[in-house]
Amino acid sequence: MLKNSQQKQGSGGKKRKIMQSSRLAKLMIQRRTLALMLVFGVAAFLALFAQAYDLAINQHDEMKQRAANQQMRSTVISASRGSILDRNGTILAMSASADTVFLDPRAIESRAAELETARAKAVVAGVKEGEKLPVSGQEYRDLIAVNLARILELDEETVRDKMSKTNTAYQILKRRVEKTVGDQVREFITTNDTGSSIQGVHLETDSKRYYPYSSLASHVIGFLDADNHGAYGLEALYDEELEGSTGLTVTAKDGNGSEIMFQYEQYYDAEDGHSLQLTLDSTIQYYVERGLEDMIAKYGAKNGAAGVVMDPKSGAILAIAASPTYDVNAHREIYDSKLQEELAKVDEENPPAPDQEHSDAYREKLGELQLKQWRNKAVNDTYEPGSTAKILTLSMALEEGAVNPSSTFDCSGSVTISDYTIRCSNHSGHGHQVLKEAVGNSCNPAFISIGLAMGTDRFYDYMKDFGLMDKTGVDLQGDVGGIFSTREAFTTLDLACYAFGQNFNVTPLQLITAQAACINGGYLYQPHVVDKELDSDGNVVKQHDATPVRQVISEETSATVREMLEYVVSSGTGRNGQVAGYRVGGKTGTADKRGTKDPATNPQGDIVVSFLSFAPADDPQVIMLLTLDTPRRDTGTYPSGGNMVAPTASAVMGDILSYLGIPPQYTEDTQTAAEGAVPYVVDMSKEEAAAKLAEYGFTSYRTVGDGAAVTDQTPSGGAIVPTGAEIILYMGAEKSDAPCKVPNVIGLSAADANRKLTDAGLIMKAAGASGSGVKAISQSVGQGAEVAAGTVITVQMGQTSNRAD
Amino acid sequence: MTREEQRQIKKAREREERRKRQEAWEAARGPMDIPFLLLALMLLVIGLIMLLSASFPSAQAHKSSNYDPLYYFKRQAMFAGAGLVAMFWVSKINYERFRGLARLALIVSIALLVLVLIPGLGITRNGATRWLGIPGQAVVQFQPSEIAKLGVIVYFAESISKKREKMRSFREGFLPHFILLCVVAGLTLIEPHFSGALLIAGMGAAMMVVGGIHWGWIAAGVGGLCGGGYLMLFTDLMEKIGYNASRIAVWKDPFGGDLEFQRNQAWQVIQSLITVGSGGLLGVGLGKSRQKFMFLPEEHNDFIFAVVFEELGLVGAGLIMLIFALLVLRGFWLAIHARDRFGSLMVVGVTVQIALQTFLNIAVVTNFLPATGISLPFFSYGGTALSLQLVEIGIVLSVSRQIPAPKAG
Repeated sequence: MLKNSQQKQGSGGKKRKIMQSSRLAKLMIQRRTLALMLVFGVAAFLALFAQAYDLAINQHDEMKQRAANQQMRSTVISASRGSILDRNGTILAMSASADTVFLDPRAIESRAAELETARAKAVVAGVKEGEKLPVSGQEYRDLIAVNLARILELDEETVRDKMSKTNTAYQILKRRVEKTVGDQVREFITTNDTGSSIQGVHLETDSKRYYPYSSLASHVIGFLDADNHGAYGLEALYDEELEGSTGLTVTAKDGNGSEIMFQYEQYYDAEDGHSLQLTLDSTIQYYVERGLEDMIAKYGAKNGAAGVVMDPKSGAILAIAASPTYDVNAHREIYDSKLQEELAKVDEENPPAPDQEHSDAYREKLGELQLKQWRNKAVNDTYEPGSTAKILTLSMALEEGAVNPSSTFDCSGSVTISDYTIRCSNHSGHGHQVLKEAVGNSCNPAFISIGLAMGTDRFYDYMKDFGLMDKTGVDLQGDVGGIFSTREAFTTLDLACYAFGQNFNVTPLQLITAQAACINGGYLYQPHVVDKELDSDGNVVKQHDATPVRQVISEETSATVREMLEYVVSSGTGRNGQVAGYRVGGKTGTADKRGTKDPATNPQGDIVVSFLSFAPADDPQVIMLLTLDTPRRDTGTYPSGGNMVAPTASAVMGDILSYLGIPPQYTEDTQTAAEGAVPYVVDMSKEEAAAKLAEYGFTSYRTVGDGAAVTDQTPSGGAIVPTGAEIILYMGAEKSDAPCKVPNVIGLSAADANRKLTDAGLIMKAAGASGSGVKAISQSVGQGAEVAAGTVITVQMGQTSNRAD
Repeated sequence: MTREEQRQIKKAREREERRKRQEAWEAARGPMDIPFLLLALMLLVIGLIMLLSASFPSAQAHKSSNYDPLYYFKRQAMFAGAGLVAMFWVSKINYERFRGLARLALIVSIALLVLVLIPGLGITRNGATRWLGIPGQAVVQFQPSEIAKLGVIVYFAESISKKREKMRSFREGFLPHFILLCVVAGLTLIEPHFSGALLIAGMGAAMMVVGGIHWGWIAAGVGGLCGGGYLMLFTDLMEKIGYNASRIAVWKDPFGGDLEFQRNQAWQVIQSLITVGSGGLLGVGLGKSRQKFMFLPEEHNDFIFAVVFEELGLVGAGLIMLIFALLVLRGFWLAIHARDRFGSLMVVGVTVQIALQTFLNIAVVTNFLPATGISLPFFSYGGTALSLQLVEIGIVLSVSRQIPAPKAG
């Protein structure tokens, strides 16, 4: 182009040529500048804008999230978990704050490296006088391992192991240590030999659950898992209510982690969990658990025991206990001594692998036993109830008019139904009996005929109406329904067996719920343990009222049933269940466990013995069912509900009734059990003292010494003792403080036992049955023990029969 | 030749010179380009406001800034004032007079670049020896590479404008400028100051292109740039020659890699992306950036535009980018209409420098290109740089004064 133009110009002037070339060069500049203009002024900015658009619009949400993640610090404000209280407000479960200690191995490692560098520098620079060389990285790690192991009571090796996981930032050392231990860790972090605070050791505030009564009502309360969530029992069932909701503080922070005060800040309040107030009474619960323990100690219970106490008029459960039990504070450890022995045996028999603490067999056994001790036998397990279920047969038959109180029955000792012979517990037969006597004798043939009089359909309907085929609906975990034949398959033979409580399975809770309906006027209630939910200020948030399900029998029928059951205790198989001063109704039960008979090893088969009682019989306030699954047959006591369970039931019921403040009504028979406060008679003359004692109901006294006035007395004034007790008045003679030796009174009649104890300087309190043929079956302080003079010894009176009931 | 003749010739020459001077004077008294001036002033003011917003948290938090939130702003404003005075002074000068200074400017530039490399003279920060001046006295410190940019602009403009069509030749057009560029950019590169070298090279190359080098060289340059870029970014060539390729890995996937990678190599880019992205369409509001609180490194410096994105959103930052684009377009428009090639070339140099620097800075902030430390004209903190940018604006304004008024009709 330039060449062409030069040729065209030919011999044009030099100036023109220059101007021409200058003009062309300028044109070139203009054209190329225009191109640059497009590249730098348009294309470049469009490309940038596209990139920015992608970031600010398309990736906005992601980047905003990332920004929030690093700019916001959210601090969880933990809600405190609600307590579990019994009906009187006694705390059964509560939370207190605790600290979880964890390591940040990565931070420890980088701090160790930092110290190493600083030390190397200091070594090169030389250490000034009075200054220490910085600790080395290894010393730093050692310091942490040694101190934390000491404070937290851990192996140093454990701490080192966790510290060596340097690619992690969160290694829990110990969960939920008490505040005082946490404070020691805090002190170590701030004050230590490195001269600055320890980096990489942190504490998190956490809460720890305390169960002040350890194993009391453990099956009801349950426990928490490692993350403080309910794992079992009410803790699990009401986890949401108890837990509350955690709060959150969100604050802005800068890149160094400091708070930016004038920026964004937001609070979400924590809401403390609700507390549960139970219908359970810890005192009654304690009586029942102690009762189960006593029975098991005496008779054993291969498959455990269960006990339920209920308010028959509302379905409120006052106590529910099962054995074996566990300590809620250490629910993974085996609590029951028998189970501990079992476990120890497995441990001995199976030596563990060299690098392990226990064998696999041990761990397997441990798991099995844990499940066993956590089981709430009263709710989770069904059994064949045996004769206690005759109450149901009786109630429905009376209601339907299939029998009436004047119906009579003849018992020959066995009865044949559909070619199948069923024997009565009294093999020689009960002979001719009216209904009351048949109930009192727990006569199987009589009840079979009552059942047959009902007919399969009506009987089945009533079993259904008593709620035995459904779950009870109780607010406890693992509520199961009974196991019954289908209506279609329900034969006459089944009916005969069902009538005396065999061939079907129910849980103890189901049974007592149905039995409560029989004696409370006919109303079936849904049992419950949680009475109300309280907020953190104690206001009632939710009230769980009694929930009637249906009326099964009439008030009149129910009254008749109560009378008959009172007869059982006053004159029948349940005499050992008597409580002096109270009208008690009840029913014994000795049930065969199907499929346990084995001619070679177990010719008689396993049994479940049980006793149902309620009091006062005319206006029941409490109803209680105790069961003992598979007691030993070699205790010398014939295994039956009346022999094994009723005496304990009597003691427990006596405790419950006096605890509930239900006034006793003593008859002449039971006068020995009446109690009174001994008046203070010191300084009185003999006559004055005698008058005063008589005024308080104490008629028996003797004097020691021959002074004019009483100088001392045994028992002391104010002591509560049976009014039949002999009061010793010291007339100037020195009161002996030598201990008295407790004699054995078991097997004696009440009068003989009283004499023997009085002679020994002790006071007898008779409990349980009274009347002819009744003998002492246990004493509260064993033979040979030395106690202070005037100590009250409770003697359980009863009668042993050698028949199943 | 008689004395009279000599005198007459001398007189005629003097008259001629006086006439030329008069002519130049007349030409140089034309009005400066108001749009260009306004765009530059807008950027300066917005830049100062954003610097204040971006810098106060770190200024308040650090001892090096006396815990004075206004520390950076005050100093920048001072340099902006001085720069404005210089800009107006330069704009009054007839730019033709710079021709005479061209050789000197180049020699001084190269001398300073050599000086800074002499151990003991250059001031080293963050491993790079880029500053000359009194150590500890930041006010009187400057970067020779900033001076060199100006030197190259003036010298190239003078040299290229003289060569006219000879620019097409290899020996006279391409080679001398290429060698010169290699020397200046090379000296800058070994400081090391990669982005400075890149800017000088890009600017010089653009002036050569505009000056009329053979299109083959342009094609070769563009091809080389594309090929080199491809090799650098998309192959493992850099790794093979021992270069720490982590910047390229970061560019490809900043959120990839483990926590350590994100915390260290990719930290700056990640923070910049979070800052830009969290602003969204309309931003969190002027002054309300959260990322500037010690999350985003270099927030008042190379990454100031990320804060602009966060506070003003895509809309606000987009408008500022538009002002930059308009300034660049107006600059090229002035280059096209300049009275002579010298003026055109100087304006092209200045404009390309501003455009390239702006592009690279925002490209880094948005991770469009791998990270390299490059400041944003008018926004980033830096006294000498800002003053010199204003001087360059003054040069453009000076050229704009001599644009002949469009003929009526």
